[in-house]
Amino acid sequence: MIEQDLKPLEEKSIYVIREAKLKFKNVAALWSMGKDSTTMLALTRKAFLGKIPFPVIHIDNGIDFPETYAFREWLSKKWNFKVIVGRSEIKPDPMGSACCGRNKPETLKKLLEEYGFDALIVSIRRDEHGIRAKERYMSPRDRDFRWDYKNQPAELWDDYASKLDAKEHMRVHPLLDWNEIDVWRYIKREHIPVNPLYFSRNGFRYRSLGCTHCTVALKSNAKNVDDIIRELRTTRQEERSGRSMDKEHEAAMERLRALGYM
Amino acid sequence: MQVRNIALLGHKDHGKSTLIGRLLMQTGAATRVRIREAQEYSKRLGRGFEPAFILDSFTEERLNEMTYDTTRAEIKHRGMALAFIDVPGHEELIKNMISGASYGEVAVLLVSAKPDEGIRGQTKRHLFVARMLGIDRLIVAVNKMDTVNYDEERFRAIERGLRRFISAIGFDKRNVAFVPISAYDGENTVKRSARMRWYGGKPLVEMIYESAKKATPKATGMLRIAVQGTLPGGLVAGKIVSGSVRAGEMVAILPKGAAVKVRSITVNGAVVKVGNAGNNVALALAGTLPKEMRGTIISGISSRPIVTDRIRLRVFVTGAFGRAMSVKFNGIDIPCRKVRVLRVIDTTTGALRPGPPRLLDAVEADITLSRKVPVEGYAITPELGRFVLYNKGMFAGIGIIEPG
Ligand SMILES: Nc1nc2c(ncn2[C@@H]2O[C@H](COP(=O)(O)OP(=O)(O)O)[C@@H](O)[C@H]2O)c(=O)[nH]1
Repeated sequence: MIEQDLKPLEEKSIYVIREAKLKFKNVAALWSMGKDSTTMLALTRKAFLGKIPFPVIHIDNGIDFPETYAFREWLSKKWNFKVIVGRSEIKPDPMGSACCGRNKPETLKKLLEEYGFDALIVSIRRDEHGIRAKERYMSPRDRDFRWDYKNQPAELWDDYASKLDAKEHMRVHPLLDWNEIDVWRYIKREHIPVNPLYFSRNGFRYRSLGCTHCTVALKSNAKNVDDIIRELRTTRQEERSGRSMDKEHEAAMERLRALGYM
Repeated sequence: MQVRNIALLGHKDHGKSTLIGRLLMQTGAATRVRIREAQEYSKRLGRGFEPAFILDSFTEERLNEMTYDTTRAEIKHRGMALAFIDVPGHEELIKNMISGASYGEVAVLLVSAKPDEGIRGQTKRHLFVARMLGIDRLIVAVNKMDTVNYDEERFRAIERGLRRFISAIGFDKRNVAFVPISAYDGENTVKRSARMRWYGGKPLVEMIYESAKKATPKATGMLRIAVQGTLPGGLVAGKIVSGSVRAGEMVAILPKGAAVKVRSITVNGAVVKVGNAGNNVALALAGTLPKEMRGTIISGISSRPIVTDRIRLRVFVTGAFGRAMSVKFNGIDIPCRKVRVLRVIDTTTGALRPGPPRLLDAVEADITLSRKVPVEGYAITPELGRFVLYNKGMFAGIGIIEPG
């Protein structure tokens, strides 16, 4: 796994986050209480001198880990930001998992309409999954969350897409260039609090967090951030191998992606 | 580790994706799972192993055997991370090609040596765009050498066929190299090929590495801050694109030129005495500020860029080049008042051509904007010399200010 210089990554992310806030009328960020979106919040505080100047959305299917809920309450108080909880249903989904498949974007859609958000900060990284290699820093989605990857607006230099048709919203990806190990190195450097589920208990830890139904722990003795960084330096396993959703057909993943699954 | 962006150019099917796939395998960056998936996928489609399938791409792209949008893949070489940007080689997708190539610091152009392939119009067009985007280091990889029995004469013929064009569009001969390879067989990609002993140079990855090492961003040292806008709370946010700014100094806000004092500088959440190029700063400024800060440029009091509403641009046309145009400059939209075309260039040949500009032509044009902006030559301060053109809101081209 390639370890990139953190400085330019940090600068670029701050630039993109500020751009989202300054360019759009009504911005929100998605927060799963995982390491990436928590790092995004830490970067947001840097961009806005200690404040998080937009609401943070948690799409909650009600069966996240207790640690995850506790972390949500604790950090939102500590950093003083507003959390909007959107409750998603668990129901059969022909294309993915019942818990975190298509049902979550459905809830998100309703929230966007209700609050009128025109930009959504999402903490995806290019190295996370094959399909994400084609994402842009700013990428429009239509009302049904479809992503027309073949026909995205040109994105060159620091000029990002900004024109939105009615009923569209912008996905903003400030962490796009980061690799998994960079996120952990940054968490270490900045002492960013993380969900305790990432650390090993009884020989197991979570590397990528979903809800209690679709997240599988992996064998690991990494008990702290340093251990995790060391582990990532030698592992040959893919990050999301602990998420059952990914094991299903690749085409289903693509369709989920096009639907705006985060 | 430092990351260097390498733009991969070339006509569709000349082997860009195959090359990246092969490099990922040869440098150990591809996981075993990935390689196995690619093997299975090739078999399912009833073909020999396709290294290109190792790349991150949509099933749709694999089935149609073409790249629709850019893909990025990183390899490690001698302590440097090389991020390859695979851009679509298809003419209709030039917009996506530009998006990818605009991040490149070094360009690698693939030209297939296969008898019926060779130098194509798109080959030259990609070179033209790369040069316009300011990429000044180029490696031409003559690919598919296996299809011509690794014949030196075929390689030299392609080299001869491109050298003149490459110089004509402004590449410095010393920054251009030609390497014969077979991406499919992995010959001369990472290790020197025993099948091409007549080639005395280094393998491709080594050439890229050396080029990337030399490609250092040029900086003039003059203070230029591209202002993003005013943050909640009143501080001014911007990115220092060149030079540095000190707390306490007087600066000018352009285009109007108001002189204000820098009271404090915050970089990444911490108050500092000096902000440097690359930093995203939040400034407390004392003095009368323009109502709208977004799109302004902050410079030193004495070394200011030119402020003008008339610019001469070299444009690469990506849409309808018409009258109702506007430019995007430093984050703001500015309508054009007048557009006068001086010359039209066919980018597949480099020759002048009469008549109105068409899609994928290059154009030299004098443009009068509806307001004044602070500008500089693209080669001096890229951020102050580049424009994205729109026609009725549609992407119509990219333009740069050439010096002189
Ligand atoms: N014989 C031979 N075929 C190649 C070589 N490189 C690529 N190809 C083939 O050329 C076709 C197009 O390659 P691809 O990488 O998809 O081209 P791209 O459109 O530039 O990305 C595929 O069928 C490859 O197997 C090579 O070095 N030798």
